[in-house]
Amino acid sequence: MSSAALSVAKEAAAETTPPSSAAERGGAPLANVSLEINGRTYPLALDPRTTLLDALREHVGLTGTKKGCDHGQCGACTVLVDGRRVLSCLTLALMADGESVTTIEGLAGPDGALHPMQQAFIDKDAFQCGYCTPGQIMSAVACVEEGHANTDAEIREYMSGNLCRCAAYPNIVAAINQAKHELKRA
Amino acid sequence: MDAPAKSGQPLPRLDARLKVTGGARYPSDVAVANPAYACLATSAVARGSIRAIRLDEARAVPGLLDILTYQNANEIKPINFFSKGGQAASSIMPLSAPKIWHDGQIVALVVAETFEAASEAAQKIAVDYDEEPPTATIGSPGATVNAVADVSEEHKDPGFGDADAAFAAAPVKIDAEYSTPTQHHNPMELFTTTCLWSDGKLVVHEPSQYVYGMKNGVAAQLGMDPGDVRVVSAYIGGAFGSKGSLTSRTAIVALAAKRLGRPVKLVSTRDQGFTIATYRAETRHNVKLGADRNGKLLAYSHEAFELTSRPDDYNVAGTTTTAVMYNYGAVATRVNVVHADRNTPGFMRSPPEVPYMYALESAMDELAYALQMDPVELRRINDTAKDPNPGNPRPYTSRSLMRCFDQAAAAFGWEKRSPAPRSMRDGDWLIGWGCATACYPTQIAPAAARVSLTPDGWARVQIAAHEIGTGAYTVIGQAAAERLGLELDRVKVELGDTALPPGPIAGGSNTTASATAAIVKACDAIREKLFRAAAGSNQGALAGKPIADLDLAGGRIVAGDVSEPLTAAFKYMGQAAIEEYVESVPHGLAADAMEKLYRGRVALAGGPKGEKLMFAFGAEFVEARVHARTGEIRVPRAVGAFAAGHIMNPRTAHSQLMGGMIWGISAALHEATEIDERSARYVNDNLADYLIPVNADIQTVDVIFVSETDREINPLGVKGLGELGNVGTNAAVANAVFHATGLRVRDLPIRLEKLLPSV
Repeated sequence: MSSAALSVAKEAAAETTPPSSAAERGGAPLANVSLEINGRTYPLALDPRTTLLDALREHVGLTGTKKGCDHGQCGACTVLVDGRRVLSCLTLALMADGESVTTIEGLAGPDGALHPMQQAFIDKDAFQCGYCTPGQIMSAVACVEEGHANTDAEIREYMSGNLCRCAAYPNIVAAINQAKHELKRA
Repeated sequence: MDAPAKSGQPLPRLDARLKVTGGARYPSDVAVANPAYACLATSAVARGSIRAIRLDEARAVPGLLDILTYQNANEIKPINFFSKGGQAASSIMPLSAPKIWHDGQIVALVVAETFEAASEAAQKIAVDYDEEPPTATIGSPGATVNAVADVSEEHKDPGFGDADAAFAAAPVKIDAEYSTPTQHHNPMELFTTTCLWSDGKLVVHEPSQYVYGMKNGVAAQLGMDPGDVRVVSAYIGGAFGSKGSLTSRTAIVALAAKRLGRPVKLVSTRDQGFTIATYRAETRHNVKLGADRNGKLLAYSHEAFELTSRPDDYNVAGTTTTAVMYNYGAVATRVNVVHADRNTPGFMRSPPEVPYMYALESAMDELAYALQMDPVELRRINDTAKDPNPGNPRPYTSRSLMRCFDQAAAAFGWEKRSPAPRSMRDGDWLIGWGCATACYPTQIAPAAARVSLTPDGWARVQIAAHEIGTGAYTVIGQAAAERLGLELDRVKVELGDTALPPGPIAGGSNTTASATAAIVKACDAIREKLFRAAAGSNQGALAGKPIADLDLAGGRIVAGDVSEPLTAAFKYMGQAAIEEYVESVPHGLAADAMEKLYRGRVALAGGPKGEKLMFAFGAEFVEARVHARTGEIRVPRAVGAFAAGHIMNPRTAHSQLMGGMIWGISAALHEATEIDERSARYVNDNLADYLIPVNADIQTVDVIFVSETDREINPLGVKGLGELGNVGTNAAVANAVFHATGLRVRDLPIRLEKLLPSV
């Protein structure tokens, strides 16, 4: 699947968002950054230390991407940047300036139709508490796109950066196996 | 309309779509207006006191708003430890004194305009300590030991007969020491708290397994009327016991928000989670089993030591379970707590059963080898339908242990096992097969619930139970849908909010039993009203029908071939909705149990406590592969068969049991929190060094449901299973490793360095 197919319907004109209110609050000197998230442009003024994860969650209000460790050890914060999976907790927001970011909120179609990977996670009960799930799904989409979903063993290996403490692992493998066939057909 | 939902159907989760779209709002996801951000500073020593806190550098950070320490925020009122009549996970109150009780104790809460500024300021807080040599663990200098029976009003060490004499006289015996390590839950969600004040009322967004406990505990700490505190926790990103009791961070975040007049949001760090919440304490066991030459158990002795903090007597005392497990001839047990300079431990998935059943089931395997007997047959010979204590021969309400063993053994291919250690091999891989008993007490708590139904066939269920990944929304919805004859998606379920009637703590695997008992009761009250209206009216197809003949299905009231829409009954009543509030207090609890539930106190009936023994059972079989040259260990397949009464939803139950078995594999092979003996500090307090399985560590995990009907335990006949799956796994893995290598590892986890003598 191409990265274009991954991205959601883009709104024709980028909306302007008020700059982060941190500037008004007298915090650290702020840096301007423009993030394209799920097809929409967000101009932000951020503390330059702000991670992409915190920018998404605390400044844009997209809380589907989760913080599990803030150290790149768990994968809960996985998003796609220009179609590649990255750990948003280890990515400064400034590093994603001008790049296209896809989060879990941007995966379903504009009509709310679930992405085949989302549907497969439901069908195979590939989660319990659901906290790691957005990261698992983003990673799974990329895993298939990368061509790393050919066998169960390969899926397990290439999904091992995403921890699931509820341990839905066998069901995650099953979900990816289901979705990869639909994605190939698409 | 389609057929109404039934309990027992493998329906997809009600919250599935929200969870795969990022729409499920965990507490730190809830949007609040203009939040300030909090970070914690925690102690760098485990014992001593704070001599000075220097805040100048921290205060100079741009955007800094407030710093709370014991010097300026010592106003949290003490509340009791949860086992002493309170709600606290520890009796160490936050920011209350310069005293340091343990590594990682909260010493300051920093609030700033941004998360980045708060993080920077927290790191710039400089603390000088008067340090004292700390006691790290069991056996460390300075540790003090108490018998649990001496310090707990509830615990009595189980025992009967003369176990010492029976052991001495037994022709075949095992006398072994086992130990289990410190483990941390490490739910994927961090420990977060967001607090907002409005007109003197407090709202807390925090992941919690017991929102009513938190509400009442925080209110007491802040000197408030509990009615002015609301706790919201609609989704919990994993808990496993770590979010059951009130920890020290909540009240100080509330205090910070009050001082600032602005919402405050804390997302603690992963390493702080190791010390500001609880953990599974390390344990030591001496187990003695004596048997006759046919395998009949003549004696069982078990002495255990569990670590706890200095001020609290936290203990799990799993001998109350192990002492009723088999048909022993005599039993002697003793459980001790060991106090050290550590944070107070707490519940972690199957708190008593995991360490105690690991010890017992390892010893049973050792005994089977000593007897040259199949370990399954040893369990069969000693199976029992009652408490083996002749002075208290309480029957099990149901016990399907051997059916579990037989079904799991058949699925696993156990009959192909070659019994001798090191006798099965695949190239360089030594293959071992092992098995063990799983069990978990069946418990039930008081619960209140509100259910409403409207004429258009929509129901709303409200109960402050908790969705920690177990599928609570779904099974609670199924219970209501079944009784009201609706499809599942016509039932709106609201959980995790103290604005709702109080549900049970999400602990002790009691939620399904407790919540559904209340919900069925409420639905039955609704049914009664509808049926009386339909049958009692002088018009309509159901007029004059016996109420016992009526049922609800597909939005209609039906009696055989005739039916009327719900709207008709509502019209007869002259009502636009029916709403029923009910309270359910299970048999075996005191009359004030419901009032205590409202006050945030936990009461559980069942398990080994009552007139009858109530347990779910399972049998777990594991294949371990140990590389003959490197000692590398793999568990490529595991089979578990479980009997847990009526299964409300085989899909969610399967995931719980599978996840539990993987949890058990993790505990057996991976997990241990390492403690520096000199400093009593945790070393591997992150997810790269605290090992839990990744996808590549797990291959085939098969779950078998063994059918079982038990009408005595609770209205729906359900036995909790969230904590059943990981009970037998530790011993099954250890037993399989012994079979593979001939080396008995009695100290978990089993890592390859412990197998070096075998390679």
